[in-house]
Amino acid sequence: MKTPTRFGRALLILPPYLWLLVFFLAPFALVMAISLSEVRLGMPPYTPLFSRDGLVLSFRLNFENYAFLLRDDIYVRAYLSSVKIAVISTFITLLVAYPLAYGISRASDRWRPILVFLVIVPFWSSLLIRVYSWIGILRNDGLLNWLLLKLGVISSPLAIMNTETAIYIGIVYTYLPFMVLPIYSALSGADETLVEAARDLGCSPFAAFWRVTFPLSLSGVAAGCALVLIPAIGEFVIPDLLGGADTQMIGRTIWLEFFNNRDWPIASAITVILLAILVVPIIAVQSRLARTRM
Amino acid sequence: MSSPSFISIENVVKTFGAFTAIDGISLGIGQGEFFSLLGPSGCGKSTLLRMLAGFETPDSGRILLDGADVTEIPAHRRPTNMMFQSYALFPHLTVRKNIAFGLVQDRVDRAEIGKRIAEVAEKLHLEPMLERKPAQLSGGQRQRVALARALVKRPKVLLLDEPLGALDKNLRLQTQHELVRLQKELGLTFIIVTHDQHEAMTVSSRIAIMKQGKVLQIGTPEAVYETPASRYVAKFLGETNIYEGVAGERDGESIALDSDEAGGRLLGQCIDGVRPGDRVWLSVRPERIELRPSGEGLPGTIEDVSYIGAERRYWLRLESGAMLEALRINHGLGDDFAVGDPVVARWDARAAHLLTE
Repeated sequence: MKTPTRFGRALLILPPYLWLLVFFLAPFALVMAISLSEVRLGMPPYTPLFSRDGLVLSFRLNFENYAFLLRDDIYVRAYLSSVKIAVISTFITLLVAYPLAYGISRASDRWRPILVFLVIVPFWSSLLIRVYSWIGILRNDGLLNWLLLKLGVISSPLAIMNTETAIYIGIVYTYLPFMVLPIYSALSGADETLVEAARDLGCSPFAAFWRVTFPLSLSGVAAGCALVLIPAIGEFVIPDLLGGADTQMIGRTIWLEFFNNRDWPIASAITVILLAILVVPIIAVQSRLARTRM
Repeated sequence: MSSPSFISIENVVKTFGAFTAIDGISLGIGQGEFFSLLGPSGCGKSTLLRMLAGFETPDSGRILLDGADVTEIPAHRRPTNMMFQSYALFPHLTVRKNIAFGLVQDRVDRAEIGKRIAEVAEKLHLEPMLERKPAQLSGGQRQRVALARALVKRPKVLLLDEPLGALDKNLRLQTQHELVRLQKELGLTFIIVTHDQHEAMTVSSRIAIMKQGKVLQIGTPEAVYETPASRYVAKFLGETNIYEGVAGERDGESIALDSDEAGGRLLGQCIDGVRPGDRVWLSVRPERIELRPSGEGLPGTIEDVSYIGAERRYWLRLESGAMLEALRINHGLGDDFAVGDPVVARWDARAAHLLTE
């Protein structure tokens, strides 16, 4: 095939880059700008970055918002708690998703598409409705407690609703397909004879899995973890509906600052730092994928 | 040949659903043999090899290895190692770690692993590429890594599943000789599966020719080529002309048969158990046929010639209408035939082989 010219290549990648520029970079620049302004009463509820006095154009950068975030430990704690909840729930999701993905990848040709379909099916209904139904399951007089009481496993209802446990359940449930699909894809692309080769060289079935199948699925694991971890850190709906008042996650904090306190600059500053935190795992995953592709 | 029962396969049957892959095979392989399983695809040769490796279990029958019944022993506890057709190198590991894989699993100590890798790497010229990943190797290099990975474990038997199928022709021929040299040097038992008769003839001490889950004949390359047991074997190994006829009286070592198919009386080497009047077939290899412009023999007309450089292949239309293929070394004396030339074909009775099935 002929190698595309430099111009042709530029033409090809220009539209997606324009898209990113308009719909990602420009809004981010706005948020960044607001985070460097001061809050005020009025519309918009922040001071402009640039001011003109006659012919003199002056602009003021206000880093006070960032300093404030560091001073008041409620924000630091919200970040830490978000990261903790996201990391733990990503790990639990991985533990649930891996065997599921492995099982699907080993299923017969007839069953495999059906099983993949069942993993995707929850996407067909609204997230909000699915989270609400978890309230119905988890609350004190909910389905789960009713069942456990009936079965005699417990004597009084478990308080799951409005706890971190409920958040974990919600996140694991919601993000499971994002973990299952990339792992399944990595596993089903693996060459079956590699496992036979490992067995031939002295590996028990478990050792063959651990030394060959698992390492070869790591790109899928990395992609799945990124797809769960990144949105889970900024998750708003699940902690808001299932979590208690004492679990402060950063998504909720941003919401509160924006809509309750109408402090756009602080909310923007929180957002900028959140993005900075997210960039770390994204780059880690990207470089990992780039290496395995070699 | 040393004890022919180093490996013994006894009445082994294997079915996959309604398909019978192995239909009651018994055979013995001696220690230090280079044994080939030869046959067309679907003949069961790979299934038999996989049973020796422990990837498949026979429905019935037994497999003994060095006196021990290994029929039910799983692959990872057998003293066999396999070289896969696709090589099955681990893409996430370097060449060194691929070769070390089995030794690490067996908890061989580090110093010993290092020593054995160095040994096998030297033998197979892998030293310069030990730190590379399989994706950075050529086909021939990968093949050598796959071989090294299996040999480094010092198996009692090395199983090779179409090991050279992915190599181009020149490299394949060269590698065949290297395999033979290696096998002699190590004194190991090699069992190779192949559909390439030239490969089987080149490398093996003995060949088992298989068809539809059965072994048709076992013997040295010379034996199976010179004295095939059936028309199928004769045709599968090399080229041959086969004519049906009725056996006549025996005359010393030779026998005549009247063949309507070839349109005349044919001479061949007699075999035991043939009585006058039996329906038999005669197999004459193209290289055993002498063509002359005239004289005694089967008359025919040259219908096609193919020039291959070192030799010419002639296709004759016999007067009976049957075809005959003859091979002639290109001596460069200008005595070649052209399409349309009338010729006679003859051969020595000792050069033609009688078949009863």
